[in-house]
Amino acid sequence: MTAVRSGNPLRDPRDRRLPRVPEPCALVVFGATGDLSRKKLIPAVYDLANRGLLPPGFVLLGFARRDWGDGEFEQLARQAAQEHARTEFREEVWQRVAEATKFLSGSFDDDAAFDTLATTLLELDASHGTGGNAAFYLSIPPNAFPTVLKQMQRTGMADNRQTDSWRRVVVEKPFGSDLASAVELGDLVDDVFTAQDVFRIDHYLGKETVQNLLALRFANELFEPIWNAHHIDSVQITMAEEGGIGSRAGFYEGVGAARDVLQNHLLQLLALTAMDEPVRFDAESLRTEKRKVLEALTLPKDLAASAVRGQYTQGWLAGQRVKGYQDEEGVQPGSTTETYAALRVDVDTRRWAGVPFYLRTGKRLPRRVTEIGIVFRKAPHLPFSRSDTEELGANQLVVRVQPDEGVTLRFGSKVPGTTMEVRDVSMDFSYGEAFTENSPEAYERLLLDVLLGDASLFPRNEEVEASWRVIDPVEEMWAEGGEPETYRAGEWGPKAADEMLARDGRAWRRP
Amino acid sequence: MTTLWDTSGTAVIKALAAERRQAGAVSSGLALTLVAVVDERLVTEAEQAATHAAAQHPCRLLVVVRRRPDAPEPRLDAEVSVGGRLGPGEAIVMRMYGRLALHAESVVLPLLAPDAPVVTWWFGEPPQLIAHDPLGVIAGRRITDATAAADPLAALRARAEDYVPGDTDLSWTRTTLWRSLCASAFDSLTGEVTGLTVAGEASNPSRALLAGWLRSRLDRDVQLEDTDGPGVTGIELVVGGETVRITRNDGRLATLSRSGQPDRVLPLPRRQLGDLLAEELRRLDADDAYAEALGATTGALTVQGARTHLWQDPAEVADPDPALTTS
Repeated sequence: MTAVRSGNPLRDPRDRRLPRVPEPCALVVFGATGDLSRKKLIPAVYDLANRGLLPPGFVLLGFARRDWGDGEFEQLARQAAQEHARTEFREEVWQRVAEATKFLSGSFDDDAAFDTLATTLLELDASHGTGGNAAFYLSIPPNAFPTVLKQMQRTGMADNRQTDSWRRVVVEKPFGSDLASAVELGDLVDDVFTAQDVFRIDHYLGKETVQNLLALRFANELFEPIWNAHHIDSVQITMAEEGGIGSRAGFYEGVGAARDVLQNHLLQLLALTAMDEPVRFDAESLRTEKRKVLEALTLPKDLAASAVRGQYTQGWLAGQRVKGYQDEEGVQPGSTTETYAALRVDVDTRRWAGVPFYLRTGKRLPRRVTEIGIVFRKAPHLPFSRSDTEELGANQLVVRVQPDEGVTLRFGSKVPGTTMEVRDVSMDFSYGEAFTENSPEAYERLLLDVLLGDASLFPRNEEVEASWRVIDPVEEMWAEGGEPETYRAGEWGPKAADEMLARDGRAWRRP
Repeated sequence: MTTLWDTSGTAVIKALAAERRQAGAVSSGLALTLVAVVDERLVTEAEQAATHAAAQHPCRLLVVVRRRPDAPEPRLDAEVSVGGRLGPGEAIVMRMYGRLALHAESVVLPLLAPDAPVVTWWFGEPPQLIAHDPLGVIAGRRITDATAAADPLAALRARAEDYVPGDTDLSWTRTTLWRSLCASAFDSLTGEVTGLTVAGEASNPSRALLAGWLRSRLDRDVQLEDTDGPGVTGIELVVGGETVRITRNDGRLATLSRSGQPDRVLPLPRRQLGDLLAEELRRLDADDAYAEALGATTGALTVQGARTHLWQDPAEVADPDPALTTS
């Protein structure tokens, strides 16, 4: 996982106080005035600066359509850092960031603006000592990708050799809307940049708990021996949001929960849960193992019975009345876009034969929670009488990704008293209690990894394509007709999803 | 919060259990136990720093104040709080009078969190020999601060002669930001090292360790330049004909200058005690880089195995260990 720098005599792998600091470089943000940039990227840059993790020659360069100068952008960035940064706002730290904050105004089809950008990047080396290195963050709508990428190709600013430095690109989801478009987009990006310089951000992978899943599985003796079909009955991966679509109807309509969340976040979590041990803990080995799992995914034969889509209707959530999806602003009347998706997939390997993986995601569910639930088989024989173990469920290991990050283990325990009564109890490990109060934000971690060139936590193009291969048949089936099931806002999804598990003799966990 | 006057160790354990039940924190996970050995007049400052560090590393904080070892009657006063004024975790401040001060471990041992690492931190004059203090012997990691000694450079030498893996010193922690800047500068430098200079106050142990670290890593002599401080004020590296100079004269901002490149100003603050302590608690394994730097600084490093307690009665020796004789 660590970037190995050979030849620097002051870096000693045993000396772990010294942080990993990237080489001098510029971070170019396209769509610098947008939501993601203000709420996540700029605060993450400030947090990195505050923790001393940015190199002396670092420049933040914003690119957007607004007719602004450096000063106005600096104002926006300052406000963003003050409002959203994780760490305390300190004027002297901000001053250093502000001095190295630049803004370029231009639209994406403006050749002159991109020519200026290309020369600016070279000039920054002389004025700020960036070494000509640059990472481009595409915080822009997907339909603008091709235009921007072609501009980069035209000006040669994406070429490592031509610029004699490193040039990297960061792409946000969605990576296409089906297999064909993902292949097309992937080809285009890989054509403009070299494949190892492309970083596809899945911010879930930057979360501490997700990385901890690997520690939990591969650093312990306790779990890996039972991490297979002999002992595991089923796996449930849930990502629930209590929010609705807000003002994102324009994006969300026609995309839906399966493409927005299931295809990327949930399948990545599945891959980390199901993968074999990587040979080494580096980008290449990790991605190889994840890819093996994703390519082994199969959908059940009776797809209609194993995939459920839903749409929320008007209801009550957290004490407030909320609109149904059809009444949200910007939603087409009679829209069949799903706001809830549940899917059963199987991993066709010896380790996982016969173990269903149930994935579900939805908006306007009772609370915001993401978790991976491993449900174990019941003990093959119980020496207790049936009535004694009536309240004993299956053992479960739950990785709580957010909020309240941690791990829960559920197992049976004797109820105090004179009778032998066994009931489920939980044993809890909470990150907040055992480690530092505030782990770095996912974007902070991932941005640092991009600047360091460490791609371990970024899915590769092949993984994206394998994921689409799983989702495409489901989307095609849904596109053929019919309407999503409905569920009231504030419920755990449509009834059909419960029935889907009931048919397999199982039930959803209440997260 | 429970305050106990003239009490016993058993009563303190009971009070802690009661406080935990009340706070609902019966299953709280503790990463470590931090034992702070503090002089009465520094208690407030130590509590602040430990609270700051505990916010990042949830721990059980045991503050031990040794008072009047010559008092005729041994006596223990204790203040127990869970999620109170001393941060979110569990904290016990204990004042030990008379001969009990020499047997503080008898109260501390049963209060250590089960199977969690123990860190002992002497705030104030560091011990001459850590083995003199049983609270240092039970710890897996021991934090001293040579800066607090009357003669910091002699204290550093004492640390080298007394070194056991797991020892660390806050004057080393203070060099981290400087070392990080040097290492970053070296990432883009190639060629032979022809000049190394470290500037700062002559008696500053961090300056000495910084120079020792450079010497141990680069195998070259390091020039020392005396300035008025505060602390370390600059480093100059001449590598492959290029000169990189980092100067900090105000203890807050550093200027990085490199031949052929514009000067850059970076925040390089002298960090607060709480931040230093938090950095120490981040890793609990032995710090080999510190040992090497300490060896190169003093030329007196002797690495020993585990420590056993060396009994010293401050009433009977002419020059008692400061770790045992706080007010």
